Amino acid sequence: MNALRAHPAVAAAALVAAWISVPAIVSAQEYAKWYQQSERHFLELKQKAGGGTKMTWDKLPDWTGIWAREGGTRFDPKVPNYDPKTTAKLTPAYQAKFDKKLADQKKGVEWDSLSYCLPAGFPRWLTEPFLREFIVRPEEVWGINEQQSEARRIYTDGRGHVPEDEAYPLWEGDSIGFWDGDTLVVHTINNKEGQYNRGQPDYSDKVSVVEKIRKVNANTIEDDITVYDPLSLVEPWHVVNRFVRVTTPNLRINMWSCEENNNVVKTPDGVTQFILKGEQGYRDPNKLISGPDEPQTPKEKR
Amino acid sequence: MKKAVLAAFLGAGISVMGSVPMLAHHSSAAYDRDSDVELAGTIKEFQYTNPHSWLMVEVVDKTGKTVDWGFEAEGPSTLLRAGIKISSLKPGEKITVKGHPLRDGRPAAILVSVTKADGSVLSTTAALRRGPGGKPVETPSSL
Repeated sequence: MNALRAHPAVAAAALVAAWISVPAIVSAQEYAKWYQQSERHFLELKQKAGGGTKMTWDKLPDWTGIWAREGGTRFDPKVPNYDPKTTAKLTPAYQAKFDKKLADQKKGVEWDSLSYCLPAGFPRWLTEPFLREFIVRPEEVWGINEQQSEARRIYTDGRGHVPEDEAYPLWEGDSIGFWDGDTLVVHTINNKEGQYNRGQPDYSDKVSVVEKIRKVNANTIEDDITVYDPLSLVEPWHVVNRFVRVTTPNLRINMWSCEENNNVVKTPDGVTQFILKGEQGYRDPNKLISGPDEPQTPKEKR
Repeated sequence: MKKAVLAAFLGAGISVMGSVPMLAHHSSAAYDRDSDVELAGTIKEFQYTNPHSWLMVEVVDKTGKTVDWGFEAEGPSTLLRAGIKISSLKPGEKITVKGHPLRDGRPAAILVSVTKADGSVLSTTAALRRGPGGKPVETPSSL
């Protein structure tokens, strides 16, 4: 049933179990159909590539350098940054969630899980406006986002996905891929639920993604993305993202700690608020090693 | 009301500024992007940190009372790309600073720009995220 799992026999039994656990909003058949769509998409690309290019060090494309996403943080860059529209065809349930999110945002009610110092996760990783680098090896590619030092690992050594009975939602998902010449083709499953970014729709933990990533010129890496999600989308969502070389002198990607200076709290009514210097509970970045002058009360813990 | 409170601090006008700095790590809904503050003061501290930097400025209001303002900006790499180095803003410097204030009236704002004593201006958006040839590769994304 699932050609991309490491152990197909185990996967078949596990898939039945997975069907049972799929929320009522999507039928087991529908989930299977959608998963098969992304799987089929990936396998068709692999077949078209003759099984993929056997990559060796001398054939690897040069993706060295520092890169940043072109445009704002909209998952589909064709949508202007502050435009509340989305080009995703959402299911009624996720459209309603999206409408409420926008209405709340207008009222100033908004909270981002990043403010808990959690990772963006994938596919949101694609929209984050921070520095990136790509580490390309014959058997594996890393995509590293400066924020949270958040790394995607894409295995290109021919392995399948993690067996279904060992799989669970991951921040960056489970990514396998192959090379079609200088194009990296990636299939990602087992993601955590999340949002494409603030003011944008949510996706479920059933989301899966097929990407075709290629350096189209010396200063641009293009990512052709198709998102599948039976819970949130009524049809696959296709977008094209670009990462552009950043050439600021002396710029480097450094270790990025979210806890270094994060005095952001969520109020009981869901509003993002700040603890300012001098206020109770403020965590002074100058006292990271020594700790606060006074022990924090449980109320102040975040 | 909020503007009146701010004006009491400033003695400076409230103007509309078109640029919107980006705060990628948290919602900026607590800030009023339709209001602006412009304050003259002395730098107390420049926290050049992730996820966000904070410029602490000591401001004397019209009654002679000293108020510490905090101006929030992006982290070091984003500021460096906008030409703002850790050495660009030093404690004791006299500056004029612009930002979008908190809605609740507390003394904090999103940093938009700093004018130094020599008239030079550091903007969080003017030179933001330049790519090859100085072409902007990203746009501010505050929501």
